Amino acid sequence: MTNTFGRSWMIAVYLFLYIPIITLVVFSFNGSPLVTVWSEFTLKWYGKLAQDREIIAGVILSLKLAFLSGMLSVLFGTFTAFALVRYRFRGHTLLSSMANMPLVMPDVLVGLSLLLMLVSLQRWLGYPERGLLTILLGHAFLGTAYAAVVVVSRLREMDSKLEEAAMDLGCKPFQVFTLVTFPLIVPALVSAFLLTFTLSFDDVVLSAFLSGPGSTTLPLVIFSRARLGLSPSINAVAAVTIAVVSIAVIVSSIYQSRAEKQRMREIAQAYNDGNQ
Amino acid sequence: MAAEKTLKLEKNSLHQDNLLRIENLTKIYDGSVKAVDDVSLTVAKGEIFGLLGSSGCGKSTLLRMLAGFEVPTNGKIFLAGEDITNLPPYQRPINMMFQSYALFPHLSVWDNIAFGLRRDGMAKEKIMERVESLLKLVQLGKFAKRKPHQLSGGQQQRVALARSLAKQPKLLLLDEPLGALDKKLRESTQLELVNIIEEVGVTCVLVTHDQEEAMTISSRIAVMSEGSFLQVGTPDEIYETPNSRLIADFIGNVNIFEGVVDEDLPDHVTVKCPECTHYVGHGITGSSGMSVGVAVRPEKILLSKTKPKGKYNWCEGEVTDIAYFGAHTTYHLKLMTGMILKVQQQNRTRNLEGGFTWGDRAFAQWDDLAMIVLTH
Ligand SMILES: Nc1ncnc2c1ncn2[C@@H]1O[C@H](COP(=O)(O)OP(=O)(O)OP(=O)(O)O)[C@@H](O)[C@H]1O
Ligand SMILES: [Mg+2]
Repeated sequence: MTNTFGRSWMIAVYLFLYIPIITLVVFSFNGSPLVTVWSEFTLKWYGKLAQDREIIAGVILSLKLAFLSGMLSVLFGTFTAFALVRYRFRGHTLLSSMANMPLVMPDVLVGLSLLLMLVSLQRWLGYPERGLLTILLGHAFLGTAYAAVVVVSRLREMDSKLEEAAMDLGCKPFQVFTLVTFPLIVPALVSAFLLTFTLSFDDVVLSAFLSGPGSTTLPLVIFSRARLGLSPSINAVAAVTIAVVSIAVIVSSIYQSRAEKQRMREIAQAYNDGNQ
Repeated sequence: MAAEKTLKLEKNSLHQDNLLRIENLTKIYDGSVKAVDDVSLTVAKGEIFGLLGSSGCGKSTLLRMLAGFEVPTNGKIFLAGEDITNLPPYQRPINMMFQSYALFPHLSVWDNIAFGLRRDGMAKEKIMERVESLLKLVQLGKFAKRKPHQLSGGQQQRVALARSLAKQPKLLLLDEPLGALDKKLRESTQLELVNIIEEVGVTCVLVTHDQEEAMTISSRIAVMSEGSFLQVGTPDEIYETPNSRLIADFIGNVNIFEGVVDEDLPDHVTVKCPECTHYVGHGITGSSGMSVGVAVRPEKILLSKTKPKGKYNWCEGEVTDIAYFGAHTTYHLKLMTGMILKVQQQNRTRNLEGGFTWGDRAFAQWDDLAMIVLTH
């Protein structure tokens, strides 16, 4: 009884989550230009996409942005995480909760405040023009907070005795990082990268505030087209976006489950050897 | 003249034999927590020195200062005559075996052991040789390629030992080396550990909160409490002549009678307690009228059914509890005052004929040299 209830509840939730996405993808293969009426299967919208300069530029820009901001976020996030986990200083608690602030602050506020800052910077220094760089800054800003959360939790669960042991055996502090800490947090860095990559790739709000002429990211293109009226070509773009994001997610979960399987295999092997 | 010379010689050799010297070492955390409080100590070469104390008494902190992970608030550390107080851990000829082993999970057993040697830039063949011999020493030859999580607790412990011995440290620090093993494994591993350490001949400082472990492994023990040393001595000194109630109670089982010194003579004293009067066959540093504790270890008491002769060193009670341990039996005797006397008897015969059962009246007696008079 409870079992069937649980199962139907779960199905309902998944349907709720996935029906819109599935519909969207299905209708991107619809021959009719009307978004709601199915006629026949076609790939013409994808063909059109391939010739759509604006969209192709958007995809390239978004990928570039996502890659760069992912990298920057992981770098800064790791520094932040280290400072927060490894060092005790005055105002530690305040700072560590402040590092999480961008996660809970509404994107609109973050975007607005960054915009204001950049505008006044530009007025004083004549730099930076709004464009790729400013969006990158915004995304890296948000991404750093996310990456820091991921790396902090990994560092917290990592035994600090390992670093002491390395030092005890003759490692200077930098060697401790390269030989022990880094190899042990690599999985967290990979997840942090994939997380911040997708965060940047599908961001609309920050990009809308920070973009300038000639720097229209893919989500911005979709957004502006959608306002002009729905068309199956938007579905096609969205389907492409979904594909990119899903690939990132799938790669990350395969990576993780492979590592886990490898571990299980090794443990099983050890167990068998032990029983021989 | 000659006497002076030998004295000087002795002093010299003593100085050379002292591998580790700690002077007035103090560690204060956060400005107020005195984790280690003005500790001084010398450890001779080849010694296995045990630090024993209950949880939170500052053992690990002391060890971590020796390893270089904590900076002392005060005091100095000398190793082989050299002041190492301000050296970072990676420059000290000291290695540590960690409580939870701290094996590198991403490296194989082989690489874990070779880790320190590689940092020293040792030649490849030399490293090979050294690691192989260490693997042999701890009998882990066929596990060289395993990762730490593929090993049992006891095997991990041996890898940790091999890794900490790899660089041939002048001093080996062991923080609860057997703490993570279960009771049965502990006992066999204990002997193995001592054998390996003695084979290598390295000087050790070992932390434990298990007094039996400290007694079996160490050549000398320091009993710690609240950051300072209560007593330093060989295991039997500490067991047979504890210098305070705390130590008598902490090391092994003990019955403590509270009483007042009655007669105080150079060759004997008598102590009046509510339960009985003790006749102690040696003099003490005290005076009559002083209140003292008289400690008697359970294994030094004899239980009998007949009333002992004389008026000293015996008391009468009722058997309230019996615990059979195979080799010996522990009885709890309830005395008139309500005090519970623990008595341990060897089981000399197979059928426990002449033994005691619950509710029996029994007399407990002990020798006039069996007691320790505690003035603190
Ligand atoms: N980093 C630290 N900051 C503040 N106080 C500390 C720190 N490390 C230890 N202490 C305090 O110092 C005291 C001694 O701690 P220590 O770890 O040396 O005890 P221990 O004897 O090793 O105990 P255990 O047997 O439980 O390991 C404790 O009161 C502990 O709370
Ligand atoms: Mg400890």
